[in-house]
Amino acid sequence: MTAVPGYGVGIGWRPEIAGFVAALPGLRMVEVVAESVDPGAVPDALSALRERGVAVVPHGVALSLGGAAPVDPRRVDRLAAVAAALGAPYVSEHIAFVRAGGVEAGHLLPLPRTREAVAAMAANTARLQAELDVPLALEPVAAFLDWPEDELDEAAFLTEVLDATGALLLLDVANVYANCRNRGTDPLALLAALPPERVAYVHVAGGSSHGGIYHDTHTDAVPADVLDLLRALTARRQPPTVLLERDGRYPPAALLRAELDAIAAASGHPAVT
Amino acid sequence: MSGTAPGLGARQAALVAGLTGTGPAPAGFDAARFAAARAALLAKRADVVAGVWPELARDCGPRWRELFAAWAPGRPPGGGYADGWAFARQRLAAGALGPAAAVELAAAGARLGRPGRRPPAPPDRAGHPLAGTWRRVGRRLRGACGYGRAGRAVALRLGRRLWVVRRP
Repeated sequence: MTAVPGYGVGIGWRPEIAGFVAALPGLRMVEVVAESVDPGAVPDALSALRERGVAVVPHGVALSLGGAAPVDPRRVDRLAAVAAALGAPYVSEHIAFVRAGGVEAGHLLPLPRTREAVAAMAANTARLQAELDVPLALEPVAAFLDWPEDELDEAAFLTEVLDATGALLLLDVANVYANCRNRGTDPLALLAALPPERVAYVHVAGGSSHGGIYHDTHTDAVPADVLDLLRALTARRQPPTVLLERDGRYPPAALLRAELDAIAAASGHPAVT
Repeated sequence: MSGTAPGLGARQAALVAGLTGTGPAPAGFDAARFAAARAALLAKRADVVAGVWPELARDCGPRWRELFAAWAPGRPPGGGYADGWAFARQRLAAGALGPAAAVELAAAGARLGRPGRRPPAPPDRAGHPLAGTWRRVGRRLRGACGYGRAGRAVALRLGRRLWVVRRP
């Protein structure tokens, strides 16, 4: 396996914080929601970042790779075109499904942890990889409910998906935190069971609790427990890139900078602020 | 898995249907977690719509999520624009749409038009050798101008210029 490029601390680029992102002096990587980019008309702000050497990674959210139905070839072609238009070093998508039976869920839904789901994920991922010129990283999602037919625990399921697809891992420590907290399992045990050498990059995000359930909202501050998980992950093997995802209710710039600095400190990367 | 159990596709479809209220809750899931997931998805859907239709959300005030959550179940999610369009039209029909939200709806009609609208070839010309040309002309026309109406708000667009008036 070729070495994954490392960029230190990155941030999810969103139009609402484009000015903030552009003003980060040490930034070397951003991620952009792939479906929001027209491959024929890349936003000027992203082109400007690329010109100063910042890598731009498209993050697909709507392919539904874990769906039993074959992935829509138009969505595959579009993601490949976005990756090419951005000159992306790699591309990411989710271990999830977002539609079934002709109905859109409007959210990333967890797969049943079964061999049948592993096979569906492998078939669709192969269809995507056939059209991509760059590596693919797959992200396990925050699962707010478990399927009754689950056969495997999360670590075994994810390992089988990675083995069956040959994909890299986009490890979201906030999703690990959310799933383990909501299931009452040990997040450190899950981290320890995942292959560190497959990690392309790491997601960090905030969340909040309602009615006893932790929600990975991306609109709240990053909890200290999530940063602790990032520290534990780094102690095993430093992730090449660690990226903050913030999708709304944007805090003042100083608070966002402080979160980026805390992520840098926890992951042993230089501050980008 | 036993031979009689439904396959992955059927189970996924049942889960999506249950979560969007287009079908019953599927068997076997923890009821409390399922209800929490359904509520979280509905809240997210409302937030997405509010982002695209700020005046519509403001028009509903603090009851926005509650009103949207009463409307949305059973309607397949169509994305923020389409969901907001349909919800606004329903409030308009019920006489509940305020003036600012009506202006927003009329302006959206003039700018982007009805959601999911694809310029169809006229039925009598569908197989005509010029069907493609007709479609292109229609699309060009819709790019050049637009018209929208919601109650007493009327919007007219020429190119990028938009005029909105309220009829007395």
